[in-house]
Amino acid sequence: MISFEDFGKTYGRRAAVRSLTCSVLAGEAVALLGPNGSGKTTTLKAAAGLIRPTSGRVRIGDPPRDARLPAARRAISYLPQKVAFPDALTGREVLEFYRALRGAAAERVPEVLKFASLNGSSSRGVASYSGGMVQRLGLAVALLPDAPVLMLDEPTAALDPDGLCAFYGLVEKRRAEGHTVLFTSHQLGDVERLADRLLLLVEGRLVASLTQAELGQRLAERGVMRLRLDRDVPGLLGKIRQVAPTATRAGEELVVPGPAKDRPRVLDIVRANGVGIVNLVASEGRLDVLYRELVAEDHP
Amino acid sequence: MTLGSSPVALCARQELVLAARSRWTQIFAAVFGALALAVAASGYVLSGGGGLEDYARTATSLASLVILLVPVTALVIGILALSSDRGATEILFSQPVSRRAILFGRLLGLFVALAAAQAIGLGGAGLVIFWRAGSSGLSAYAILFAGSLVATAIFLAIAAVLASGGAVRRARALAIALIVWFGTVILFDVAVLAGATLLRSGPASRLLVTAVLVNPADAVRTAILLGIQGPTAFGSASLALLRFTRGPVGAGLLLGASTLFWILVPLALAVRRIERADL
Repeated sequence: MISFEDFGKTYGRRAAVRSLTCSVLAGEAVALLGPNGSGKTTTLKAAAGLIRPTSGRVRIGDPPRDARLPAARRAISYLPQKVAFPDALTGREVLEFYRALRGAAAERVPEVLKFASLNGSSSRGVASYSGGMVQRLGLAVALLPDAPVLMLDEPTAALDPDGLCAFYGLVEKRRAEGHTVLFTSHQLGDVERLADRLLLLVEGRLVASLTQAELGQRLAERGVMRLRLDRDVPGLLGKIRQVAPTATRAGEELVVPGPAKDRPRVLDIVRANGVGIVNLVASEGRLDVLYRELVAEDHP
Repeated sequence: MTLGSSPVALCARQELVLAARSRWTQIFAAVFGALALAVAASGYVLSGGGGLEDYARTATSLASLVILLVPVTALVIGILALSSDRGATEILFSQPVSRRAILFGRLLGLFVALAAAQAIGLGGAGLVIFWRAGSSGLSAYAILFAGSLVATAIFLAIAAVLASGGAVRRARALAIALIVWFGTVILFDVAVLAGATLLRSGPASRLLVTAVLVNPADAVRTAILLGIQGPTAFGSASLALLRFTRGPVGAGLLLGASTLFWILVPLALAVRRIERADL
């Protein structure tokens, strides 16, 4: 549905994105992650037809068309990072304009106003809106057409909790309907909740592409079980290390890093040695930690 | 898709609404009307008389004012409108509409808004002149209005070139616009006249004719004066042009070609820039 083929973009002498080759399949929800300046917004803008690739190409839709062509943009709805609308227009006027431009049905306006919780303020000028309201109006504009591809640049950055809940509901609904979603976010919670796959960009290069299953596996590998035992038995740590090679002792605790699937075997070994468990705490790997590791691997 | 729901028409309507609500456009209409009335009233005051001048005299006096005011207004309002906030631009240009259609639509809306402001300004003053001085010379007033519209189209097209670069900052575009305005409306004439005084009659005439044709502000000003006064038009540039073209018809055609050039070429450049711009 979206394909980047050796896509590169240079601003002056600075390369924002270098040789990006990847694709987003129809019905997938993909998150673009990366530190500030890693090329996420440039990548999204190229897919929205807003910038010209310096090298390679970006194609959208089925059949695939160059993203710069208006016909390709019929397949997309794009929400930029900094949403803005003319101050002199009311929220409803903004929506009516974009509805007419996209040829959407008239009844879409009240529907998206309701979704964005802007029914009561649609006749007010955009100038009087808060940052969160402008963001919600932007989301409403993006939702007007039933475009198969939704592209969102940090969509949750300015949303309040109500807006966030509505947004999550919306993306999940779109995914359930088979729509494609490509979004950037600094909120790792968005990624865990919404994405089927994450693409990690660092300094304009793709350094990781992980599906939700691969992500789960990586996070599980970063899980830790901490045990407090009723007594110390010589040789126990060695036996446990046969199952969990990185197990170690930290004070009175036995620390067993590794995936959750290995833990029952560790517990079996403890019990088989006649040792009682006083306390057990297990925690899974965290996405923020994994993210930092992946970034650090590429850019120590 | 009907004509009214075409992307060009939709963008034009949106821009017209925005321009009509803009304080700049409202101020422009009020200032335009007030200056027209002031010019109409001042002619007789300066000669020791009273009352208002008729349409023809007012139009002649207003020609210079129109050439001074309309370009700067079209440039400033054009750039303010066309170089809107990045977020608004990104949303607009990510729609399945060609960039060319969006640009043409916005320019059309701005043109209609500025034309309406001028119609209100000149029309208001025109009603007072009609009431006090009658309808004599009304056609001259209409020619002035037409010239004002042509100047609006030319300088909106130039504003489009300056504002269509994508990453161009609004303040920078405005600064360039003011330089363009100062250069075309004031500096160019001073330089040409200074050059002409240093030359003999023949080359000086050729310089003046060339100057009229290459400078859009001069072309419109000369066209207005020739339209109002015909072959009796005075002014070094007008006289030189009339001599060169052997009459007002040839002069009109040349001036028409010049103004058309100054509308179409900047428009083509603006389209090229916006289509290549990174937004």
